[in-house]
Amino acid sequence: MATINLENIKKIYPNGYEAVHDISLSIAEGEFMVLVGPSGCGKTTLLRMVAGLEDISHGSLKIGEKVVNEVSPKDRDIAMVFQNYALYPHMTVAENIGFALKLKKLPKEEIGNKVRAAAELLGLTEWLDRKPRELSGGQRQRVAMGRAIVREPSVLLMDEPLSNLDAKLRVKMRSEVLKIQRQLGVATMYVTHDQTEAMTMGDRVAVLNSGNLLQCDTPQNLYDYPIDQFVASFIGSPAINLYQAELTQGAKGLILAGELIDLPDSVLVSHPILESYASKQITVGIRPEDLSLADELETNAVGAVVEIVEALGSELIVHFTIKANSITVEGAIEEAETIMESKGAGVARIEPRAIVKAGDNVRLKPNSTAFHFFDSVTGIAIY
Amino acid sequence: MVATETKVTEATPTSKAASKKLRDRNQILLARLGWRFTTPSLLVVGLVTIFPISFSVILSLSNVTLSGNGFSLGGFTFNNFSILIHSSEWRYALAFTIFYTIVSVLVEVILGTMIALLMERLSGGRGPMMALLLLPWSIITVISAELWQYIFQGSYGVMQQIFSAVGLGKPVFLGSPTPAIISMMIADIWKTTPFVAVIVLAGLVMLPGDVFEAAAVDGCSGWVMFWKITFPLLRPTIAIAVLFRILQAFGIFDLPFVLTGGGPGTSTTSLAILGYKAMFQNLQFGPGSAVAVSATGLVLIGCLSFLKVFKSQVNSGE
Ligand SMILES: Nc1ncnc2c1ncn2[C@@H]1O[C@H](COP(=O)(O)OP(=O)(O)OP(=O)(O)O)[C@@H](O)[C@H]1O
Ligand SMILES: [Mg+2]
Repeated sequence: MATINLENIKKIYPNGYEAVHDISLSIAEGEFMVLVGPSGCGKTTLLRMVAGLEDISHGSLKIGEKVVNEVSPKDRDIAMVFQNYALYPHMTVAENIGFALKLKKLPKEEIGNKVRAAAELLGLTEWLDRKPRELSGGQRQRVAMGRAIVREPSVLLMDEPLSNLDAKLRVKMRSEVLKIQRQLGVATMYVTHDQTEAMTMGDRVAVLNSGNLLQCDTPQNLYDYPIDQFVASFIGSPAINLYQAELTQGAKGLILAGELIDLPDSVLVSHPILESYASKQITVGIRPEDLSLADELETNAVGAVVEIVEALGSELIVHFTIKANSITVEGAIEEAETIMESKGAGVARIEPRAIVKAGDNVRLKPNSTAFHFFDSVTGIAIY
Repeated sequence: MVATETKVTEATPTSKAASKKLRDRNQILLARLGWRFTTPSLLVVGLVTIFPISFSVILSLSNVTLSGNGFSLGGFTFNNFSILIHSSEWRYALAFTIFYTIVSVLVEVILGTMIALLMERLSGGRGPMMALLLLPWSIITVISAELWQYIFQGSYGVMQQIFSAVGLGKPVFLGSPTPAIISMMIADIWKTTPFVAVIVLAGLVMLPGDVFEAAAVDGCSGWVMFWKITFPLLRPTIAIAVLFRILQAFGIFDLPFVLTGGGPGTSTTSLAILGYKAMFQNLQFGPGSAVAVSATGLVLIGCLSFLKVFKSQVNSGE
């Protein structure tokens, strides 16, 4: 068991590309730290530096009390689960799992016992004599896990270990991985680009974008207090709605889509800096669940046109447009999620039995105490 | 309800059968067309390989008699083969060919693998190195054999100069049996090691990189990495290289023909040289073909059993 400490870590690849800029992060003993961010943001690079598979260009990496920048992977006492599993194709499942122990020259009997225990834990007992190519994707994934945990490493690293599995199995494996990590109580760095996975698994989640660490906090804090537009958009599904708006009346009101929405005093209390933005353009963020259908004459609501309704049974996902400029943060939202590219597009989650259909003109009432505000130039959150 | 159901069950098989018929006819037409396209090349292949092979087999099993106007085939006989088995020349040639094949292929595979491993480490300049490496392989054997003959030559050869310069006297290379055999092997290893290296290198760069990283994290490095990971993963590739090399080495003809002429005496007479001498120098068509046929048969058996042994390895390559 050990802590992991990254201090001002940088990575400059031989071709001159700086993939990681100055990241500092520490992972406590037994903590499950998730690294999340869009493709190409440097998650794998960071993990590989911790593993020792990639040189650290600048900064220091400590595992426990020891600086390990120059220590080779085999002497770092780490285990890693690779995205494509990287099982040894010429060895059986048992040999795969026991390989590291064999290299440590442990007695055969002890290796056998540990391998059987790990296989038991992962439900692999039946497959111990098979070769990797005779296994399904989920079974291979578990072998990769087995290989990592059997050594009882002081640090566990995982690079998108579930991304090759189908959706159902992925959800099941999430809790299994988490359960095993809890049993081992080992400091873990887990890479994913799936924000749902990050939110459901991480004790803390580190959000990365283009080589920078934007924010590292508990999932709930990331959701409630995002540091900027990017984090706000990246965390949460469907993504937050961002619109251009204007503060009026000394920051006691907000003009959105040409309509006035009163801001209760509590908002100013929780966001004191907002006052300095009075009468200025700002970006307002509204989570899809903070919108509800309103009556035609109700104030503090905006008019919207319904574009698409997705009925999920438990709720309705209503895609709409309002007469305001919507803001999309590049890289924060997956392509598939942005159903509409049109101006003023947004998403609301509303109660399942509401009667709305595509083409309807409706009024949407935002929960004004749950607004997020961002500087419209820098995108930094205003609190 | 019932009526429609029966109708459906009737309709499906007939329409299925009809479409199957149509597909079959199409297939037959396509097959005919295929035959028409391939006939010319089949004829050529038949003329230059199948005919000579069958004719050799026929010759080797016949009583061939020479007369003033060519040769004539007598009756069927095993005589030619029994001549071989009782001939010390054939037995020596067989032993020499096997020995030469085993030693040179072994050395080539070990050297070639080592070179491939070195080349793989080379990040920049692999292209020029590869070109340089392939130079010996790209030289026609007859030419390179001539070159080696110069090198090993008895009075002005470079090798002798080197030996005498370092005080090892003036050994004879091509003029006495053992040095001649060694010289021939050196010439062959020089020429074909690059071939093995290139095949192994191709296999090496195809290996999954993350498996090696996983092994590094698991605690592997250096020799342990090679023996536990690299070599097992390379085994199918190496097996293929060995197979190619056995086939080539067992039929070696041009190198000894030019370098030593099969001598001194018969010391470097391979089966191919022996067959050639019997056929075209001594005009013993029957026994000559028997040498060729037996060599082919033996190498076929050798390769098939090799494949059988290594089949699991070849198959386990992912
Ligand atoms: N060997 C390399 N040489 C140069 N640049 C590299 C190298 N490896 C990665 N990069 C670059 O570094 C950046 C970060 O790559 P990295 O693999 O860490 O991304 P990632 O966050 O893991 O993305 P993904 O979610 O797609 O796996 C990318 O822009 C990539 O192009
Ligand atoms: Mg990655």
